[in-house]
Amino acid sequence: MTLAETLENLLPLDSTLRFGELRLSRSAKGLYRAVHSRNEASEEALEKLESLKELRELAKFDANNEYRPLKTAPTLKCGWITECEDSADFIGRLDAVYPGLFATWVAYDRGELTPVSLRNTLDRQTGMYRFAGTINDQMANRIMREVCSPGCLRKIAWPIDDQCAVSRIKPNERYIPALCTEACTFAVSTARELVKEAYDKANAPE
Amino acid sequence: MAISKPDSALLILGHGSTENPDSSHPSWEHADKIAATGQFSSVHCAFWKEEPSFRQIWPMIEEKEVYIVPNFISEGYFTRQVLPRELEIKGHTSERLGKKVHYCDPVGIHSTMTDLLIKRAKEILDPGVNLNETTLIIVGHGTNLNKKSVDAIKDQVAAIKATDEPFGDVIDAYMEEAPFIADWKTLTDSPTVIVVPFFIADALHSYQDIPVLLGIETEITEAASQRDVFRQNPYHMGDRTLYYSSAIGTDPSLAEVIVDQVSYFDEHYRS
Repeated sequence: MTLAETLENLLPLDSTLRFGELRLSRSAKGLYRAVHSRNEASEEALEKLESLKELRELAKFDANNEYRPLKTAPTLKCGWITECEDSADFIGRLDAVYPGLFATWVAYDRGELTPVSLRNTLDRQTGMYRFAGTINDQMANRIMREVCSPGCLRKIAWPIDDQCAVSRIKPNERYIPALCTEACTFAVSTARELVKEAYDKANAPE
Repeated sequence: MAISKPDSALLILGHGSTENPDSSHPSWEHADKIAATGQFSSVHCAFWKEEPSFRQIWPMIEEKEVYIVPNFISEGYFTRQVLPRELEIKGHTSERLGKKVHYCDPVGIHSTMTDLLIKRAKEILDPGVNLNETTLIIVGHGTNLNKKSVDAIKDQVAAIKATDEPFGDVIDAYMEEAPFIADWKTLTDSPTVIVVPFFIADALHSYQDIPVLLGIETEITEAASQRDVFRQNPYHMGDRTLYYSSAIGTDPSLAEVIVDQVSYFDEHYRS
């Protein structure tokens, strides 16, 4: 089944779904719509965004014009709507706002995408990140608690190491789960900072 | 070059940035331009520091054949180590999740880059500037992580010198290894100097870092897209006149270079 066919099944005619900060809908005639979930009351007044370029620019900055390098940060701007009839076109529009988020869920749900443990991700790093893999479990938990949890809408699907069990995330009729199947560049960078901080502290002149 | 790959996806790889919003811009521009031609079934981008990341990209691509073109300047640390490792590919052609994946050469080593560098250098000069009294500096990043990283720039300097272009001199310089771009005044003795950044985007390094190293900015500025003025060439610094161009990778013709690298792959590497 293609990604477009999967979307058609997940979002049948005359239905709605939550996806990250978005509310997705499909009318009885088949028109797909995406709006920010906080816009629900006033669709007529919203700015229509038609092109992928417009949607990428929307997702690039928050309401204070601060750069959003992490697209699943909970800071997506309101005040817009995008709509189209074609399923593949609609997935492209969702990807412009949340790159790869839909395909990640589909691959995970089909059992085609196995989450990668944090240690596995950190241990393969090289260059300036080569010591990131030396973090202890306390630091790993701190990354999840202080970086991932407040800063990202994705639900962590990876374990800290390959021996840890992690619950499988199940489909939901009301929303498409936003999954993190592998620690991102922000987690890797934070791991490096924590290792460096600990090294500097241990080697500080008395 | 016009090619037709109606059953293949094209994947453009870029560095991206968590700090500068302009880093991925050229890759998306080139992707949109290529997608509009319909030459490929689909066109994607993936990044080291932005989304979709190299690790997130595979579920997004549904075609069974994928051409990957690194939108990187050199064959070095990233194209030889980081990209293949993160994408879990090896050699010119790999099998990955049931897909046949072709790994093309990076854009920066394409033969037309020499003409592009010359074009960019000459188009920013004011009329009447004597090229014989002008030094062209091609500036790159430089890194101790892979010695091949500077080869692309040294090759371009040699190629420009081998043309009939009457530049007084053509030299290479780097941000993080000698010869350092910060020493441009002692590296050159001509009255006019043109600096062309051999970078993919007008982002952190070429727009924000190098201008400080050149002395045309006193401190790191906001990103290019956040400022009203791009650059105001020329810069008069004592008895020297400096011209600083935007990054070579922002040239719209890079979209054709990306497609050309796919053609080159088929002609030279495809078994």
